[in-house]
Amino acid sequence: MEKIIEIENLSKSFGEVKAVKNISFSVEKGSLFSFLGVNGAGKSTTISMLCGLLTPDFGTINVCGQSSEKVKDKIGVVFQSSVLDMPLSVYDNLKYRASFYGITGERFQKRLNELSGLLDMGEILNRPVGKLSGGQRRKADIARALFHSPSLLILDEPTTGLDPQTRKTLWQVIEDLRREGLTVLLTTHYMEEAADSDHIVIIDSGEIIAEGTPLELKNKYTKDTVTLYGVDEKDVKKLGLPYIFDDSYCKLFIENTSKAAELIGNNRELFVDFEITKGKMDDVFLAVTGKELHGGVSR
Amino acid sequence: MNTLMYITLRNVKMFFRDKGMFFTSLITPLILLVLYATFLSNVYRDAFTSGIPDFIKFDEKLINGTVASQLLSSLLAVSCITVAFCSNLLSVQDKANKTVNDMLISPLKSSKLALGYYIATFFITVIVCLVTTAVGFIYVYSVGWYLSFSDVLLILADVLLLSLLGASLSSVVSFFLSTQGQMSAVSAIISAGYGFICGAYMPMSQFPEGLRDALSFLPFTYGTSLLRNHCMNGAFEEMKNIGVPNEAVASLKDSVDCNIYFADTAVGTDVMLFVLIASVVVFTVIYVLLNVFSKKIKK
Ligand SMILES: Nc1ncnc2c1ncn2[C@@H]1O[C@H](COP(=O)(O)OP(=O)(O)OP(=O)(O)O)[C@@H](O)[C@H]1O
Ligand SMILES: [Mg+2]
Repeated sequence: MEKIIEIENLSKSFGEVKAVKNISFSVEKGSLFSFLGVNGAGKSTTISMLCGLLTPDFGTINVCGQSSEKVKDKIGVVFQSSVLDMPLSVYDNLKYRASFYGITGERFQKRLNELSGLLDMGEILNRPVGKLSGGQRRKADIARALFHSPSLLILDEPTTGLDPQTRKTLWQVIEDLRREGLTVLLTTHYMEEAADSDHIVIIDSGEIIAEGTPLELKNKYTKDTVTLYGVDEKDVKKLGLPYIFDDSYCKLFIENTSKAAELIGNNRELFVDFEITKGKMDDVFLAVTGKELHGGVSR
Repeated sequence: MNTLMYITLRNVKMFFRDKGMFFTSLITPLILLVLYATFLSNVYRDAFTSGIPDFIKFDEKLINGTVASQLLSSLLAVSCITVAFCSNLLSVQDKANKTVNDMLISPLKSSKLALGYYIATFFITVIVCLVTTAVGFIYVYSVGWYLSFSDVLLILADVLLLSLLGASLSSVVSFFLSTQGQMSAVSAIISAGYGFICGAYMPMSQFPEGLRDALSFLPFTYGTSLLRNHCMNGAFEEMKNIGVPNEAVASLKDSVDCNIYFADTAVGTDVMLFVLIASVVVFTVIYVLLNVFSKKIKK
């Protein structure tokens, strides 16, 4: 697979604070790549270096095989906090920003129509950005990031603070664009969003502490759960595995799915009515960072 | 070229849409108007009246016209600088709320970004000050008009030149500012202090000698004086026409800073003009160098 981003030995300090420590990773073209970490882990700092806003202390960044300075028109960024001009209308914001990419006149109008259809922005186009709701503003941010049809879209916590409905709409749009070959790099605090990605990197205090596909991470860091129905506690106890017993069911924690299969094969009489669930991304995160992430706040 | 036009338009629009910036820029001129309405105009009226020898008969209109032209010159001297500073605060605001990042991730050249602020500041200042000039002319016309056509042209040229001075100096100052706090501190200092040090609230001729000497090193001093000369020239000529002795007119001119002394030598209007043009050139060159230099460091 072709790599769209290649980062090697990247480091950045702000005075005493080592925000990013020697991280390396690459992103495949057309993939959805998630970048996870608690507040202050160094996600935004990495993104700033990725789009050329910060110069790394060490390390190299390649986007589309070049330094990010040279491929600015291939990258679209939705910043963690909105950076549009609050007093100006969405239309004006897009008009001026588009001009930086050389998109003006008819080309601008055409692209504006496309995006406003895609993101359903018709009614907010002529309203000042400062007067929009959080979700509407996010739509404007995304329209701005997509305006020049980038091949890489970087989203820094795009859905924090949005209602589930708006979140879904945004994901639908991103999903559609990905089908056309857009690569998406995302940071989020919502584990279910990360669970859909092709590759996940988890960083803590500026270091990569785990990475892989969601499946790999789940297999590596979480246990499977087998829920049994209609069993006696004493039968379960005999298996010698950690469990939780409740009146109606019993939960067994098993290393991984193959061990579970083996166990079931050896105990056909016990496993009559059961289901196997894999660990969740939340559990992965908890296991590797020792911290829990919940809707934008780490505890 | 097209991009430069768009970024400049954006900056100009931001200024007029951002009520905060727009009204801050009008604070100093408004203070000045209030001072005139309450007592300054009486002070000047008395000074001019007593400056004309008793044996000469004169029309009240002459005194009114002289006071009004004096007000006009002060108003313009102040506005050209304070409006420029306030409008250039946009560049600081963009840094403070990270909007500038949104421009830096685009292919927009940083030289165009810097130039965009400079040109926009100049345009805004010229627009605001030309409106002020027009209103001022109407007022002067209604109380006593002694300006010749060439005076009018010279005043307009002064406004352009001083706006350019304001734009270039404020660009240099804003270059070093990057937070909201610094921004309000500077705008407060300029709004409160500039009217005073440029001799608008009170003629510099009444300042203690030490302060006056210090001010003679500042280019604005010559800007104020140039405007005074061009605004009041007609009125003083009229005084001479009705028989006021040259010495009496000269001392009046001294009292309102039409004559400025650098180390006890009178500075002619041609020298004032030169000082202003040279200052514009120097500040502009500094601004360009700062931008070129900072870009080199970042690389
Ligand atoms: N401009 C800066 N100056 C000084 N320190 C900074 C700067 N930017 C970031 N930091 C520090 O670097 C560390 C990483 O910050 P970063 O913004 O990258 O975190 P993050 O992972 O994006 O967190 P969040 O989830 O809260 O957005 C933090 O300790 C932060 O305080
Ligand atoms: Mg962040």
